[in-house]
Amino acid sequence: MTTVEEDPRDEIALTPPEEEPDRPPSSVRGRGLLGLLTSTDHKVIGLMYIVTALLFFLLGGALATVVRVELYSPGTQVVEPGAYNQVFTMHGSVMIYLFITPVAFGLANYLVPLQIGAKEMAFPRLNALGYWLFLFGGLTMVAGFLTADGPAAFGWTAYAPLSEAIRSPAIGHDLWLLAIVLTGTGTVTAAVNVVATVLAMRAPGMSMFRMPIFTWNMLVTSVLALIAFPVLTSAAVMMLADRNLDAQIFNPEGGGHPVLWQHLFWFFGHPEVYIVALPFFGIVTEVLAVFSSRPVFGYRGLVLATFAIASLSVGVWGHHMFTTGDAATGYFSGLSLLIAVPTGVKFFNWIGTMWGGRLRFPTPMLFTIGFLLLFVMGGVTGVLLALPALDFQLHDSYFVVAHFHYVMFGGSAFALYAGIYYWFPKATGRLLHEGWGRVHFVMTFVGFNVTFLVQHWLGAMGMPRRVADYLPEDGFTLLNRVSTVGAIIMAASVFPLAWNIWRSLRRGEPAGDDPWHGHTLEWATTSPPPPHNFDHLPPIRSNRPVWDERHPEHREVAHR
Amino acid sequence: MRRSSPARLAALGVALAALGGAGCGMPDPITEQGEAVSRLWTPTVAAAVVVGAVVWVLALWSVVRYRRRNETLPSQVAEHIPIEIVYTVVPIVIVAILFVVGAATTTEVEEKAADPDVVVQVEGFQWSWRFTYLDEDVIVSGDGSGTDGPELVLPADRTTRLELVTDDVAHSFWVPEFLTKRDLIPGVDNEIDVTPTETGTYRGRCAEYCGLDHWRMYFQVRIVTPEEFATWLEENAGDVDPAAEDAPEEGEGAG
Repeated sequence: MTTVEEDPRDEIALTPPEEEPDRPPSSVRGRGLLGLLTSTDHKVIGLMYIVTALLFFLLGGALATVVRVELYSPGTQVVEPGAYNQVFTMHGSVMIYLFITPVAFGLANYLVPLQIGAKEMAFPRLNALGYWLFLFGGLTMVAGFLTADGPAAFGWTAYAPLSEAIRSPAIGHDLWLLAIVLTGTGTVTAAVNVVATVLAMRAPGMSMFRMPIFTWNMLVTSVLALIAFPVLTSAAVMMLADRNLDAQIFNPEGGGHPVLWQHLFWFFGHPEVYIVALPFFGIVTEVLAVFSSRPVFGYRGLVLATFAIASLSVGVWGHHMFTTGDAATGYFSGLSLLIAVPTGVKFFNWIGTMWGGRLRFPTPMLFTIGFLLLFVMGGVTGVLLALPALDFQLHDSYFVVAHFHYVMFGGSAFALYAGIYYWFPKATGRLLHEGWGRVHFVMTFVGFNVTFLVQHWLGAMGMPRRVADYLPEDGFTLLNRVSTVGAIIMAASVFPLAWNIWRSLRRGEPAGDDPWHGHTLEWATTSPPPPHNFDHLPPIRSNRPVWDERHPEHREVAHR
Repeated sequence: MRRSSPARLAALGVALAALGGAGCGMPDPITEQGEAVSRLWTPTVAAAVVVGAVVWVLALWSVVRYRRRNETLPSQVAEHIPIEIVYTVVPIVIVAILFVVGAATTTEVEEKAADPDVVVQVEGFQWSWRFTYLDEDVIVSGDGSGTDGPELVLPADRTTRLELVTDDVAHSFWVPEFLTKRDLIPGVDNEIDVTPTETGTYRGRCAEYCGLDHWRMYFQVRIVTPEEFATWLEENAGDVDPAAEDAPEEGEGAG
């Protein structure tokens, strides 16, 4: 690290650890595996969430690599169309349901209590239940690979009536739906817990408008999850009933309506887009402020923008359905365009935070800058897709594939990487290696853009998504090859990260309590924090109490 | 920092290439409705590129200009209400304009002729298409083999109503050169009007994932002059495809 300076917070580190009288008696029951299996400590559960989600990320990434290799040339390279359909279905499903959603709640589990100065989540046992529902739900979904007919192959959206038993008879589809019910229930329990924790467990002085932006965003994300996930789990139960009990809810041959599935799915699906975006907006906000040595610019406007995004996000699902003829194009186009406004406001908050600052560029900041550059591209293509006349051409094409990968990988996954490099020292007591971090960043940034930039062209030219193959005369071959090369670079970028984590856990530079000169309360405790989180809390008089304590001369102008 | 002026210029170059690269590769339209989409596409892509470029420049400018040079504590001002109002109102104005022009084009694209010259029922099934010329005695049906698919013959300069139906799973009718698509969903009656302006043969595709052979659910669209179209209808009258005799029941095809 190049940024180690004098640490004016040594006094905190020197504070002798107190007894642990208030430790929740149930938080640690043993060591090793037994400790993991029985833990209700929010930090242990948070890390289990994150590690599990990252393992699913590896699986999803491996499946993505199969997809890209298969599309390298016309004709079959590695998998036949039937297997290809299973692979792209499981790629999307694993990434959305088993990686990017749970990893956000894993971060929330670890960080929210620390950021608000609490000892624990509000409902520790419910917290553990949520994790185990996620783990076994995820294993249920991927267990499809072990069945004779393979895993689900109806896409991560499971559109009716393709998803009815007569069209998709394999048991893998039932496992998929069951997994949606289990993981969805787990997400609901996690969301309940975050809401209760934020509302009821804040330390004295931590008013709502002094909360870190990550905590704010997790609160709003959790409210959205409480709105969206029950609809998804209900729809999955209805589909299970269709498939196994002849319920005919979505089956047109029995009087059901397949478009109802699309409405229910996207009523979940669009808030879900923000459920897997807002937590990561929170990460980049924190990282930008800390590494710019500035407060968050327009804090209150940023929180209001988050409210606006959340409110609008439950009214835009129809933009996924413009081509069905069953969604009011004017209404959904208008709201979808409008949601770009608070998202745009956030960009100005982020740039305003950097503006006039003193910027440092360790790896978390590199990934955050990458986020700003890439997420905006997903944003502006989203605005194009909000115009029905353009969506009629671009819908279900590779343009959409490019768009949502710029949002979910260029946006959320880059921010997640930033968060991993940023909080790894807090969780482990050791810094990740900067050099390997830079290698990881460059490979990811280059590989990502090579993979997905060209897909805008492929889509506009006429390549539909979810196709197992294309024809030589289509003229898609060159751009697909470029995209596949990029995907190989992205796949390879996992290795510097994995090596970095492996080596840093053993011989990484000791981090100390506050390696980055952080602003928020998690930097006021040891790395890793004790089971009860804090031996001592600084006074909380603004949204960055740790900064205030380091800069007493600035207290009078500190943000309220 | 790593990202300096040359990188910024390169970024702008990529963005301008997006503009110049034939509108992101969007094909030239071959229908009147497609021309309306094309007129909307070019300026909105330009606007998107400009907005993206502004953010890139502001972000990269901050990276270069405000990188740490000394240990002086920077300004801790965290609010500037007038600027915050401006950067909220300007995007609202932009999206309001986009909404109006977008809605106008959508209306234009979706406009239905009172009395279309030709009406074709387009039926999708796993995994091919059947084109039934209503009021004419012509049916063209694919059998799901190969990668050419059946041929949809349409007259240029005439408005054709396409009635999009399916009995099995959802499909989507997409001819990229039409610059539009519409889903076929069991129980839903969708229709679009197309008025081709260019003769030629183009490849159509299924755009909604529909199972095993979704990728090769192709068809051909051949646009001919109205005279050639009349001749074609005569030549093919009564040429009912055997597979189409029992169309409603066997609509699922191989499914």
